[in-house]
Amino acid sequence: MIAANNTSYLARIKPGWKFGVLLVLSIALYLINSWTVLLSLFILSVVLLLTARVNFKQIRLPLISLAVILSVVFILLGIQTDWLNALRSVLRLLTMCLLAYSVSLTTKFEAMLELFQQVASPVRFVGGNPAQIALALSMTIRFIPELKKVYVEVREAQHARGLANNPLAVTVPLVIRSLKIADETAEALDARGYDSEPAAFRR
Amino acid sequence: MELPSIRLENVSVRYDDRDVLRDINISLNEQRIGVIGANGAGKSTLSRLLNGLVLPTEGSVRIGDLTTTQHAKQIRRQVGFVFQNPANQIIMPIVSDDIAFGLKNLSLPKPERTQRVNETLHELNISHLADRESHTLSGGEQQMVALASVLAMRPETIIFDEPTTMLDLRNRLAFQHEISKLSQRAIVVTHDLEILEDFERVLVITDSTVAFDGQPADAIAHYRQWSHA
Repeated sequence: MIAANNTSYLARIKPGWKFGVLLVLSIALYLINSWTVLLSLFILSVVLLLTARVNFKQIRLPLISLAVILSVVFILLGIQTDWLNALRSVLRLLTMCLLAYSVSLTTKFEAMLELFQQVASPVRFVGGNPAQIALALSMTIRFIPELKKVYVEVREAQHARGLANNPLAVTVPLVIRSLKIADETAEALDARGYDSEPAAFRR
Repeated sequence: MELPSIRLENVSVRYDDRDVLRDINISLNEQRIGVIGANGAGKSTLSRLLNGLVLPTEGSVRIGDLTTTQHAKQIRRQVGFVFQNPANQIIMPIVSDDIAFGLKNLSLPKPERTQRVNETLHELNISHLADRESHTLSGGEQQMVALASVLAMRPETIIFDEPTTMLDLRNRLAFQHEISKLSQRAIVVTHDLEILEDFERVLVITDSTVAFDGQPADAIAHYRQWSHA
């Protein structure tokens, strides 16, 4: 999920701080065993999300999926261990997910990429290029929905030809079309002046 | 605005011993230039030669004093390219980030990037799309964003490779209107002959070479005659 134009108080906090606190809290959640403290943190995460002016339509489906998954986890853990332990685990996971939603939905994608680039900057010492890694990450996020569209189109076309249950008939055109997209996108990167050499190494 | 001349001198392009373009000699100085021709005739290759996406096997392509073989990066700053399928041209997940992408490659400072993005969105009347996720755009919106991403870089020439192929009538007319408003030179490769009515010059590409070069009406008549032969 990508934050578009959030104007809440959370959006004004620097991304580095938000992600740092999220990391620390996520680790801390596993060090806390008191279910009352965990419940308090869960309530706090709900309040954060409710006051973060996020678009609830955007997170409706993920929240439903999360609820279903955590219900299964709760039941399985409850049966295998005990119900208090199951409650603690579910509270931890829920709190972590809600905090993550609050952070990601109040941070602009560009700001997240910049932060990622800063965090990944040590890879320069082993010959890596953080800008390239950040671009690859953003393009992955950008093109997952496109590839899903292609998959649906290919599946429909093969269904119309009576080949819907043939995995090869779907996979081969999907791979070929994906390669064509990759080719055209590489051309677009060139046309838009992308230079794969990092600024520091430019001659 | 004084536009640099685009000159193709003895240009040939070959892939695997097959002539895609053969001995092209043209000089492009007009503001609105159309390129028409059959599928596989070499139109797209010709358009890609003009900003160095394809390099000639023989001959040279000059934009002002620059040649695509030696100055491809500088030329790409002067010559923008709008692809047939805008979905593959949009790189970033958010529209405003995508328009800023090319500006970042020009190493412009962030405040100037933001200003140019807003100005371009406003120029094309698509400010409401700024914060949209790219994959949620319609075909017409994607084509406008692709144009915005090129316009933001303030090129002197914009090449359009079959820009209306994937658009419905309404979006096609809207896009045609935007092209007509451009202050830049526009070179449009198309099968959509109506777009070319107000153009100054149209090239007809058949069998890997420029078969006709002249006024739109004459060029379209030549192309129709060739298609019926």
